Amino acid sequence: MATVARPGVQPAQRTLLTRMVRVMFPHDRFPDGPYQRTADAILEAAAEDVRLRAQLDQGLRDLDAAGGAPFEGLSDEQALDLLRGMSSTAFFEAVRAKTILTLYNDPEVWELLGWEGASYSKGGYVSRGFADLDWLPDPRIEEAS
Amino acid sequence: MASTNGHGAGNVFPIDSKPIDQDERDCVVVVGSGAGGGTIANQLCQQGIRTVVLEAGPHLTGRDYVNDEWEAFNQMAWLDPRTTSGSFRVARDFPNLPAWTVKAVGGSSTHWAGATPRFKDHELKARTTYGDLDGASLLDWPISLEDLEPHYDEAEKRMGVTHRWGRPPLPANNNYKVFANGAERVGYKRYATGPYGTNAEPYDGRPGSIQDGFNFQGDKDGSKWSTLVSELPKAGRTGNLDLRAQAHVVQITHDTRGRVDGVLYVDRDGALQRQRAGAVVVACNAIETARLLLLSASPLFPDGLANSSDQVGRNYMRHLTASIYSRFDKPVRMWRGETMAGLIADESDHDEDRGFAGGYYMEMLSLGPAFLAAFIDPGAWGPDFTAAMDAYEHTAGMWLVGEDMPQATNRVTLNASVTDQHGLPVPNVHFDDHPNDLAMREHAWAAGVAVYEAVGALGHVKTPPYPATHNLGTARMSERPEDGVVNEWGQAHDVPNLFVADGSVMTTGAAANPTLTIVALAMRTGDHLGERIRSGAV
Repeated sequence: MATVARPGVQPAQRTLLTRMVRVMFPHDRFPDGPYQRTADAILEAAAEDVRLRAQLDQGLRDLDAAGGAPFEGLSDEQALDLLRGMSSTAFFEAVRAKTILTLYNDPEVWELLGWEGASYSKGGYVSRGFADLDWLPDPRIEEAS
Repeated sequence: MASTNGHGAGNVFPIDSKPIDQDERDCVVVVGSGAGGGTIANQLCQQGIRTVVLEAGPHLTGRDYVNDEWEAFNQMAWLDPRTTSGSFRVARDFPNLPAWTVKAVGGSSTHWAGATPRFKDHELKARTTYGDLDGASLLDWPISLEDLEPHYDEAEKRMGVTHRWGRPPLPANNNYKVFANGAERVGYKRYATGPYGTNAEPYDGRPGSIQDGFNFQGDKDGSKWSTLVSELPKAGRTGNLDLRAQAHVVQITHDTRGRVDGVLYVDRDGALQRQRAGAVVVACNAIETARLLLLSASPLFPDGLANSSDQVGRNYMRHLTASIYSRFDKPVRMWRGETMAGLIADESDHDEDRGFAGGYYMEMLSLGPAFLAAFIDPGAWGPDFTAAMDAYEHTAGMWLVGEDMPQATNRVTLNASVTDQHGLPVPNVHFDDHPNDLAMREHAWAAGVAVYEAVGALGHVKTPPYPATHNLGTARMSERPEDGVVNEWGQAHDVPNLFVADGSVMTTGAAANPTLTIVALAMRTGDHLGERIRSGAV
């Protein structure tokens, strides 16, 4: 997904939003790419949505001001506490809702989580381990008589 | 007919459609092509009755379906605007998505998972069995299990249900191994990989399952029974079927005597069309069925068609629903294979000692990461949430589906202040959980956790209800006209040539997934309507 410079969206906002999304949904295994794509998706959506754009403009400024220091400089724990304090705001909820729909709908994230994605074109799993779990005994499949 | 499995672009099960004149009155109009509508259409066509099926959605096939959760959702789901009210959590989490149903040929039978338990005798006598529960509008069905049994037999054969009539069971997949071992260790006995409406081996011109793990997204192969791949193609081969997709019915019309005489629908080009008919069958899923009857108000029927009882839209049920997702120290890979081919029936009976009326099933379930993130704990974020997602590969899941109490105030109404793309009032779904529902859900969550802890679960998430796939009760069957909308044959008490053939007619919801019972009832109604047509009564 290409990053599009929109009027009103500054590179610093993208960086700040990326950091915010990572603090909200911290996965040690995830590189920056999925978080950046999520931030971009939020900014893309804002370009089409005045309410979201206005919320982001104010919300990101508040984010930088609320901790007594730039958000970027806060530790993970400090940043998390700060976000907990604003979790009931429309700004936070808009970012959270869009992140859920974007971050976990990312093929790189699917791979990182171990999900194998589309399978029909590979013949399903009938010959590819649909029953390869070996740490429990094979259970009965018929109904009890 | 294509019936090779996997690897290709997906199978198409062609549906022959032969035009019926729009002014022809010697035909039946069926509104909706899902489990109820598609089945009754076939039942009528097999009896030589010309049938027009009007489906609001497009004609998608196995070639169109995609192995991608959100893309498939946006392709198949009924996304016309809806509103919600009431204290149920879905109104907060998904205020414009009270239900997850399908708008396409085959309806929600293209989306169903496949579990096919039968309703139990005592569940059809819910008022007698459970007594007078405060706030519940319980009623005994006007039919007994004995009345339904021959239709259940036929429905199971028609659908090729596993574990029944010589159809082999599906094998255990990874999610089932965890589920069934847990069941065994807590002392449950009644667990199995079915009964389930997907072929383990080729049957009825459809292939056996390739265990591709995609199910709610439409089955590209057609190993799963649906009206899209079974009932409608069979109806088409009689030469009596006229199937029209993207035909959204907006009004059922009637003559001066109050007999229905046709429908008005918006076609794919947005033009209003009329189809005349000698009888009309409504099978739009419980929210849209109630909405269409209410939209069809007229000077003769000011409160909506077939609504002299004021019961249209009331007693809306959506089943208990809850889930458990547990994580383990070793991989599970729950997504590999059939989504719901695992049931535990031990908690499905009525046992007052548990502190609530009715019962529930535990059924294996898997979601991909995209949907798990959206549904596992709506609104959640932070490290606890991401820990659950990080464990995806090591997670096992189950759904808890049980009987919820009908309540007169749980209700589908028209929301006059919000309109859809055709300018029609959208349905509002009002729902409050009954105390019995809450007690059952707590019990079910605890029982689900116990199953997984018995095989070493490290942690779990108690997932609240999803948007409903089981929508029931809004045009319920009753013996007395003042208690419900239709009689035991699905015939409107108020209008002799108007029938309902979907989950709306269920007097109470029972614990079991409703599709098999919708099919059995639709076959029964179809046989009855055919007899009435032959005898000249309709």
